[in-house]
Amino acid sequence: MWGWGGLNWPMSLAPSPETAVSTRVQVRRGITRRQALAAAAAAGVGVGAVRLLGGSMQSLAKPKAGSGTDWVSPLGSESARVMQLLRRTSFGYTPAQLESALSDGFNKTVDKLVETAPAEPPTFDSANTPGGRFAIGLLQQWWINHMLSTSTPLAERMTLFWHGHFTSDYRKVADDTFMYWQNLTWRRMSVTNLRSMLMEVTTDPAMLRYLDLATSTGQNPNENYSRELMELFTMGPGNYTENDVRESAKALAGWQLQQPDSYATVVVDKANNVTRRLPVYTTQRPGVFNPKRAFKGNLTYLGKTGPLDAQAVVDRILAQPATAQFIAGKLVQHFIAARPDAAYIKTLADAFRRSKYDMKTLMRALLTSPQFNAAQSYRTLVKSPTEFMVHSARALGATNLSKLVAAAGSGMGQSLFDPPDVGGWPNNESWISSNTVVERVNFVTAALSQIKTSLPAASDAPRQHLDGVLSPQTASLLNQAADDRARWFITLASPEFQLK
Amino acid sequence: MTQEIGINQLKRRDFLKAGLVFGAGVAGLAAGYAAVPDAFARAVYAAKREGLTNDNVLVMIQLAGGNDGLRTVVPLADPTLHDLRPKLAGSMVSQALPLNSQFGLNHNLGAIKGLWDKGKVAIVEGVGYPNPTFSHFESIRIWETGDPTRRQVDGWLGRTLATAYDSNGHPLTGCACGATDVPGALRDLQATMTVIQNQKTFGFTGGTEVEAAVGALYKGTPGIYGALFDTAIATATETMATLRTSAASYQPMANYTDKVQLVYSSKNQLAAALQLAAELIVTGTGVKLLHVTLGGFDTHYTELNRHDDLMGYLDSAVGAFYQDLAAHGMADKVLIATWSEFGRRPKENASGGTDHGAAAPLLLIGDPVNGGLYGETPNLTNLDATGNLKYAVDFRSVYQEILGGHLGADSTKILGSSFDRVPFLKAPVATTV
Repeated sequence: MWGWGGLNWPMSLAPSPETAVSTRVQVRRGITRRQALAAAAAAGVGVGAVRLLGGSMQSLAKPKAGSGTDWVSPLGSESARVMQLLRRTSFGYTPAQLESALSDGFNKTVDKLVETAPAEPPTFDSANTPGGRFAIGLLQQWWINHMLSTSTPLAERMTLFWHGHFTSDYRKVADDTFMYWQNLTWRRMSVTNLRSMLMEVTTDPAMLRYLDLATSTGQNPNENYSRELMELFTMGPGNYTENDVRESAKALAGWQLQQPDSYATVVVDKANNVTRRLPVYTTQRPGVFNPKRAFKGNLTYLGKTGPLDAQAVVDRILAQPATAQFIAGKLVQHFIAARPDAAYIKTLADAFRRSKYDMKTLMRALLTSPQFNAAQSYRTLVKSPTEFMVHSARALGATNLSKLVAAAGSGMGQSLFDPPDVGGWPNNESWISSNTVVERVNFVTAALSQIKTSLPAASDAPRQHLDGVLSPQTASLLNQAADDRARWFITLASPEFQLK
Repeated sequence: MTQEIGINQLKRRDFLKAGLVFGAGVAGLAAGYAAVPDAFARAVYAAKREGLTNDNVLVMIQLAGGNDGLRTVVPLADPTLHDLRPKLAGSMVSQALPLNSQFGLNHNLGAIKGLWDKGKVAIVEGVGYPNPTFSHFESIRIWETGDPTRRQVDGWLGRTLATAYDSNGHPLTGCACGATDVPGALRDLQATMTVIQNQKTFGFTGGTEVEAAVGALYKGTPGIYGALFDTAIATATETMATLRTSAASYQPMANYTDKVQLVYSSKNQLAAALQLAAELIVTGTGVKLLHVTLGGFDTHYTELNRHDDLMGYLDSAVGAFYQDLAAHGMADKVLIATWSEFGRRPKENASGGTDHGAAAPLLLIGDPVNGGLYGETPNLTNLDATGNLKYAVDFRSVYQEILGGHLGADSTKILGSSFDRVPFLKAPVATTV
């Protein structure tokens, strides 16, 4: 085990952080090309320098009036732009991955991220378990392993984004095989077209269960899916009426789960010898439409009257300007800025609509817009717990941490396949509380203790993973750390590393 | 500067800024870091008492997802209920625990019924607000901020912390137990509060050396999240020190269990969260506002078993909590109040469940309440245009009574207005309207 006692922590803090800052982060003689590029990110930045805040960004810093300072953006340099791009669209990087992206440059890296078709994860072994009754931790680890090793990281980031957007949780779905299927579907559709995506979502077996469409009928509809389709998935509140919720609930009714390939009798309670007949699926199957359960007749929905089925509901939703704005706004909040500018969102939304809801067009527009690399957007996003943990594991070159990552997310507020509610996960400042920040630190401690082999050299870590832009405290502690373990601990546990 | 200087004069944020906890305490670190927060915490207790008007404590229990009011406080003699709910009405009426000839509690609320019999439960019927939204998130925000016009961003309890306690307070004045993030009701940029998911695991792996290093790392952090990060770590560190003391002196005097039968497993450990709340209350940490959550109430489907199970879980956890407080002689200080973003539709749907509704009853439990029924009986034959129950009592009337009558806080300042009284408290400490 990794003991703190042997690390010789500097127990007295540096008297003057400013003097301690400058020594370590500088371009040295005889360094590799990679190191030079990484160092260039920091050059001219004035490591640890801070400037006074101005404008609206100050609102969050209000409680500490008088100490309102901001990070100095390094995004004037290409290498810093590439590193931010990878932080925001990937799950971190190994030194080799960083070197490859730096050599490609920003534009080519965007091309590769957006244009490469999602790499399929390996088949999940327990998928055929009767009733999907396997431990959800196995599925979490399977996904995390793929995040750690995938060659198409944007597809994984988008899969996670859609998992929080078109959300379902394994508890109510009550068949983990359906959650596995949903993950496969979300990945395949992750950067396709919103029109086809919304039909995939509507007929997804886990979603049919989670928002109750599978048990709704045209005669006596269940409003759950109808409401959330508009409120949370497409338009946002305020853009439809309660009558629209009722009418589309009727229009959407009729979709059901497909019959399984077979049933298996399984002992579900050994002590009392309770058995249950559980469904077994050998292949992934979307929902099916049963006209007998559907509504017959005209419906008035979003201002038009006529016959209405699920595809027609989706098309009416896509005819509303609110939809493109809502999706673009949520993506901007995830990838660019916590408090995005409304005019900017509208520009992206207009392009998205003009492309007939092509997700590649939207993602390319977003990643190549000046706002993405604007100084004002630097470190304005908080990594989600999964992003933080997988980034950490990749930075450490560790491939055996998926079990720890799967288990540790809960204390930080993110357990995969188990979002807090139908709204999915909140973002940015919601990830910060007394509980979650301690758990993030504890994860770093646990991860380092699980790596028995030698760690990668930590001397480059602040440049490769923190852009060389450090607070005086972080710089001071790094300078005084006794060894690579301590330097990795400070790098990964630092506030800088929690941001993207 | 040393940690003895001027604690009584300093505001909490000056503390953080001055670095009394981590920065300048070099002597403290050398002498053994753990000693510093303990001394610090005790000093803060002494300081904060000035700001308190009484020793009362509030525990809010959120029933997340929209609790079915008609299955919580059941109308026993209304035939319309059976027309609206052919699948759900029969058993809920026949099994209900009668409060009088008209109403009964859900049959799984036995412990709460026992408290009702002793006059320790007030039920406010028909609570809601004008022009209800049927969105979970909009309605949660309205309840959390106490503002149906949706302009307010700070939580009503967060504003209470900021205006009534925090200037002299410490992070344990407000605490979310069993959660990972700050509940909206407690959120306020000017307030600090603690979030503890699980007391057993709340702490730094690696002990005080890690604690000291992280304390040094999260200080003066730049950027828009800097203050949040620094406050989170400072708050956590102070709370850990407090918990080290309180855990040693607390002995639970009731049987808390989260091993309950539920249709879907629970995300929340309600009993453990309430046990932590009890520990914080009975060990004199100075906690005032506590928030716990039980989710799963969005019963669009198979409501019969799901809701009954959730009622049973709520009942056993609240029953143990009250018993524990009473055994520690603290029951007279603590008001327990439930809240939920809305009730459910009186008419059931095809899935054996109910969709989003509007007005619903709230339960107020504890020695401070004057037991009985308040508000107005929901009228099943006079529903609104959406087929939902009309509200009779604005939820802010309940908040007002809690704030003014129980906590002795300035409810008009916190809520921005005054509302009709609902006199469910035995001896309200202040009249604010």
